[in-house]
Amino acid sequence: MFGSQTQRETSNGFALRRRAYWITSAISNPRPNTITSSIPKKKSTLSVKFEDMYGFTVDGNIDDVNVLNEVRDKVREQAKVWLELEASKGTNWYLQSNGDRINVVSLKLSKLANAITLKRLVRKGIPPMVRPNVWLSVSGAEKKRSTVPDSYYDDLTRATEGKVTPATRQIDHDLPRTFPSHPWLDSPEGQASLRRVLVGYSFRDSDVGYCQGLNYVAALLLLVMKTEEDAFWMLAVLLENVLVNDCYTDNLSGCHVEQRVFKDLLAKKWPRIAAHLEAMEFDVSLVATEWFLCLFAKSLPSETTLRVWDVLFNEGAKVLFHVALAIFKMKEEDLLRARQIGEVIGILQTTTHHQYDPDELLTVAFEKIGSMTTNTITKERKKQEPAVMAELDQRQRRLDTSKMNG
Amino acid sequence: MATIGNNSFNAKLVLLGDMGTGKSSLVLRFVKGQFLEFQESTIGAAFFSQTLAVSDATVKLEIWDTAGQERYHSLAPMYYRGAAAAIIVYDISRMESFERAKKWVQELQKQGNPDMVTALAGNKCDLEDKRMVPTEEAQTYAEENRLFFMETSAKTATNVNDIFYEIARRLPRAQPAQQPAGMVLSDRAAARSQASVCCS
Repeated sequence: MFGSQTQRETSNGFALRRRAYWITSAISNPRPNTITSSIPKKKSTLSVKFEDMYGFTVDGNIDDVNVLNEVRDKVREQAKVWLELEASKGTNWYLQSNGDRINVVSLKLSKLANAITLKRLVRKGIPPMVRPNVWLSVSGAEKKRSTVPDSYYDDLTRATEGKVTPATRQIDHDLPRTFPSHPWLDSPEGQASLRRVLVGYSFRDSDVGYCQGLNYVAALLLLVMKTEEDAFWMLAVLLENVLVNDCYTDNLSGCHVEQRVFKDLLAKKWPRIAAHLEAMEFDVSLVATEWFLCLFAKSLPSETTLRVWDVLFNEGAKVLFHVALAIFKMKEEDLLRARQIGEVIGILQTTTHHQYDPDELLTVAFEKIGSMTTNTITKERKKQEPAVMAELDQRQRRLDTSKMNG
Repeated sequence: MATIGNNSFNAKLVLLGDMGTGKSSLVLRFVKGQFLEFQESTIGAAFFSQTLAVSDATVKLEIWDTAGQERYHSLAPMYYRGAAAAIIVYDISRMESFERAKKWVQELQKQGNPDMVTALAGNKCDLEDKRMVPTEEAQTYAEENRLFFMETSAKTATNVNDIFYEIARRLPRAQPAQQPAGMVLSDRAAARSQASVCCS
């Protein structure tokens, strides 16, 4: 089924399958891995299992089902808006209209107008049927692919077939552990696809090789993009252009930098929350590390994650900070009442796992946080880098001495 | 690290070890009594809590289950900082995971809390026919390094509760501000966990 790019018309891909969120079974236990100890429950407590738009089985309650149905209606409305735009502006009107990445002065007015329209539209959500094409275009993945021969991906997979490296061994170990409840990812076909994308990338960039977390990112990219090759290029552009360098390499130094930047931003934007958590000796990285490494794929429901990715590919890595800050803001009062680390984690996990309404989250992320330009973030990163490097270096030296003494 | 109530206290416990040794499975077995053949790989860390009654106290364990891949090593201090206890996990069918466990032991001895209660768990002991790490070798190593040692299986539940209860029993009690002990809870083998934070 992940064969061609013409699924838009044939509309039999995962994303396009029009299925209701039927209730497959009613169960009395909440989903595993959710911590909801002392949080007062206002919502209905009857748990139901259902399948979301991307084929993930979700354990939620009736309210969640209702929210998801509303979201699905909104997605349909947005699809109409996009179709009308295509009718008036041409099929690929959004190509190269990304204002952030080109010189605005030399931009023709129509292109600028398109860029503004695009930014607004993307924040409202890209309909699943056009998502692959729009992502390839706005992220720069298409451009990246155009710099190499057409056969690049096929050559890469052929050349790496049967090779065994530490990275391939780790990938093989993680394949059956990547969203094992998803029917396609649990199939030999799905795992073979995921394997080729991850192994291919591990050879493309041996500094990254394979980092746990990328399995979830690549899996979701496959479900959206429908073809392995497109998923591969999205992964490449993500790691090489969209995200900060070294998020996934060696000692995850880039990830450490992002965490420090995030802590600073939290203290600046939400000083009450930051002070309260600090008094509890709660380090926000305890929860935020997974958010940043999996780009929320393991925390938010699928459509909500993909709505975040829509904006991420169009506007850049600062989007992750917007979303992370929004999650804390949405639960400000609850967090301020929390007295134990377990409560804080419970609040944040429940919020993220049940955030079925993407607009609720994105409205806070982009309208309640105040301006935060890519420049500001870049400066923040520069400021944090030396400290991170020094810390990692010092730690390594201490460990090396301990080895010698031991 | 430890908040003290009337004869009850909280303690932070961290699980460390190579990827795929079964850290998450041990926790899941202990906290929820479940086992999944394919447990999702942990990114960063996952948090669980479980309250246990041991002979003289109620212990609420705050459990941090960490990611195993080597490059995640650089995040580990965040999780073991202030920990009262650690379980270092290896897979009895993979010698390299035992070597990796030794590195964790060294690191905790060097950087961790000096009073930390540390357990060494040889997990997947149901895979006897694939065993690569002899029990005696691990036992000797554990004794030399003052760890307590158990072979476990999250799959069959062998020694899983035992290792967590043993940790709870060994945790240092008397904190200066603690009130005199109230009632004494019985130390029956059947003393089971009282509450799991993971469900509601």
